Amino acid sequence: MDFLLQSVLNGILAGCIYALFAMGLTLIYGVLNFVNFAHGELIMWGAYFLYLFMEKPFGLPIPLALPPALFLTILLGMGTDQFVFKPLRTANRLTLLIAALGLSFFLRNGAQFFWGAEIRTYGFEIKRGMRFLGVSITLNQIAIILTSILCILFLYLLFHRSRMGKSMRAVSDNLELARVVGIDTKRTIRIAWIIAALLAGVGGILLALDTNLQPGMGLINLVKAFAATLLGGVGNLWGAFWGGILIGLAENLGVLIISPGYKDAIAFGIMVLMLLIRPAVLFGSEESS
Amino acid sequence: MLDIKGLSKSFGGIRAVSNCTIALKDNSITGLIGPNGSGKTTLFNLITGLIPPDQGEIYFRGERIDGHLPHEVAGHGIIRTFQLTRLFPKMTLLENLLLASPHQTGEGLWPLWIKRRRIKEEEKENVEKALELIETVGLSHLKGQFAENLSYGQQKLLELARAFMADPKMILLDEPTAGINPSMIRKIIELILKMRDSGKVFFIIEHNMDVVIELCDWVFVLDNGEKIAEGKSKEIQNDSRVIEAYLGV
Amino acid sequence: MDLFLHLCIMIAIYIIFALSLNLEVGYTGLFNFGHVAFFGIGAYTSALLTLHQVPFEISLLCALAFAGVWGFFLSIPSLRLRGDYFGIATLGFGEIIRMIFQNEVWLTKGPMGLPGIPKPILFSIRFATLPHYLLLVSGFASVTFVILRVILRSPFGRVLRAIREDEVATGALGKNVFRFRVKSFVIGSTFAGLAGTLWAHYITFISPGDFTLLETILVLLIVVMGGKGTEWGPIFGGIVLIFFQESLRFLRLPAEWTRYLAPLQQMIFGGLLVLLMIYRPEGLIRDKGKVGHAGHQRTQ
Repeated sequence: MDFLLQSVLNGILAGCIYALFAMGLTLIYGVLNFVNFAHGELIMWGAYFLYLFMEKPFGLPIPLALPPALFLTILLGMGTDQFVFKPLRTANRLTLLIAALGLSFFLRNGAQFFWGAEIRTYGFEIKRGMRFLGVSITLNQIAIILTSILCILFLYLLFHRSRMGKSMRAVSDNLELARVVGIDTKRTIRIAWIIAALLAGVGGILLALDTNLQPGMGLINLVKAFAATLLGGVGNLWGAFWGGILIGLAENLGVLIISPGYKDAIAFGIMVLMLLIRPAVLFGSEESS
Repeated sequence: MLDIKGLSKSFGGIRAVSNCTIALKDNSITGLIGPNGSGKTTLFNLITGLIPPDQGEIYFRGERIDGHLPHEVAGHGIIRTFQLTRLFPKMTLLENLLLASPHQTGEGLWPLWIKRRRIKEEEKENVEKALELIETVGLSHLKGQFAENLSYGQQKLLELARAFMADPKMILLDEPTAGINPSMIRKIIELILKMRDSGKVFFIIEHNMDVVIELCDWVFVLDNGEKIAEGKSKEIQNDSRVIEAYLGV
Repeated sequence: MDLFLHLCIMIAIYIIFALSLNLEVGYTGLFNFGHVAFFGIGAYTSALLTLHQVPFEISLLCALAFAGVWGFFLSIPSLRLRGDYFGIATLGFGEIIRMIFQNEVWLTKGPMGLPGIPKPILFSIRFATLPHYLLLVSGFASVTFVILRVILRSPFGRVLRAIREDEVATGALGKNVFRFRVKSFVIGSTFAGLAGTLWAHYITFISPGDFTLLETILVLLIVVMGGKGTEWGPIFGGIVLIFFQESLRFLRLPAEWTRYLAPLQQMIFGGLLVLLMIYRPEGLIRDKGKVGHAGHQRTQ
């Protein structure tokens, strides 16, 4: 029973991180209407940026390393939009996606160029978790949950209590119309990227804190983020949150049944299931009647 | 030929089509008119299976077709054109038409290897037929061009030709003369009349009342998704309910 | 001379791989980003069978069949989907297949890989030497090209192109779009399996790490660089890119350099893909003959 509870906790933990990934992905989807295949690399670079500032020659402690790391992640996100996605705003979908895929490959190998393919960590010793209600939880993990909650609260306030949030919802609903009624779509898009990059960066850092860093971590997390957005309904921010939590739970409870080598495949399996039963993603359903 | 009974479709809270009952006879040209947003194109989409109805039934030549997929509906012999033309932009005029020909042996994978001669013959016939149609709509000089290079009016003509190429029993035309200059409209009218004479049934969405009067034997009027009137085209023009609907009074 | 033969063999193999993807992406408009999966399935199937003394003729057929069958099973649930979603589904599938190669150690020996894959013996000829193998793969490449050309130039191919252009209109004209897509995908997967098989028997040692996103990116690059949806595009792209990729290997650079050169080369691939999409999405070869703009304009 304890084991089950521990798995549930781990699931919620992972789920919070996936929720951050999914919300960032769905935000860009909502505002720009495409699945950013390079989102996984934003996640990965976020984690590596922190590593960069924590290692020599900077050697900063986490609180000091965090701001520049996140700042750089945001720059990267905006950079990808400026140099890759903006020129392709009106291109056909296949072209855009191939470009995004190429970009993700570029970024992934960029990380490998600088840091090699070895698995790295932030260098915190594995501390024993504190026992609490029969489950073990480390300080790191508490930090993960708290940070996630903070991010989500911030997002809630942004989206439902601010003008910018309203603008974003308008842009995601109908870009042309939003432009016509005077919403500064350029600014909205920029803000969307800032937030998406922030979420990706924070999520990546938390993930690396909980597990490790390697250049390939982007792809599989893209798949998981996507599975979560599908679960919650694409374009739906809070759906993405719950989707993330569900994926995390499914993964950690799933390995109780199937081989741990396929843990990452669980999200994929869920995604296939969603694609099979949810007609909303079918061709032709976007047809304006 | 076409029997629609109690058809309804809503999107979210909006009733696009509401309890529509419409019947089309053989050898007729029927018009479908109504103000913008009255559900005409939605009705077409329902008939052709692009969207499933919420309620109601659609019968074509006695067979029930509501809920069928678009290619199945087309297989029954119902071909449509679109309000905003849907040609194949990076294919030539000729190819656009060739595609429309039904029951091509060459579209199966296995026949490609064992029925080569038959395929070649069919292709030859189809090319002849296609060239004839292209000639009929006056686009022969452009037949090798990509469809995307045509002007708007030419595209509409091509889409019409493509619909005929499919050898349908019933053709649904969605605003065939919208944005076309008068001389081409004349051409289109002649074409439709010719086709009707060879036994095809037409159901036409139109805003141009002159075209409706000239072409249509019978007219249905939609407003807000409901059928508010039907009758001979000349009479419909003077129907008070129709006038109200258009004026938004 | 050996270098030259090796280059040609690799080019031929990748041409088969690219032709198969071109059918799916270039002609049918399917966003297949997991093509490497079928390459791998073909490779592992034939390798495992021949390692268990199954004759090459049979192992080849099995590899093709298996790749095609998996293509079928993947396409049935996913081909009804919108492009983005199908893209991610195939991307994910590529990863899953790699995981299977990695985890099912009892079958594939996992990360340790399969060494000693025997050279193929076809019609009692053992294709062991480089020139022999080049003959073998060139033969297969030519056959692939011809078969696909027949398919693409047929009415079937015409429907595929129409689906790429406008699937709603295609369906409205009576074609079962879904079925055509599935057929296209299965054919593509089968030929990818062929490429994988030929590759496995050439390099004689395969492991899960050979079947990653890199392969997909490479073959995608070959297809788009040469011009997707053209007959000769994949051949042109294959020659250029494989030449570039393999030539680095033969510069015999110090080992420490590879640590940097490999990711750098792959960064170039990724960057090339991006640049191509922004500046020259139709590829470096222009589509033959048809008068018209290369862009998206409509004349009014």
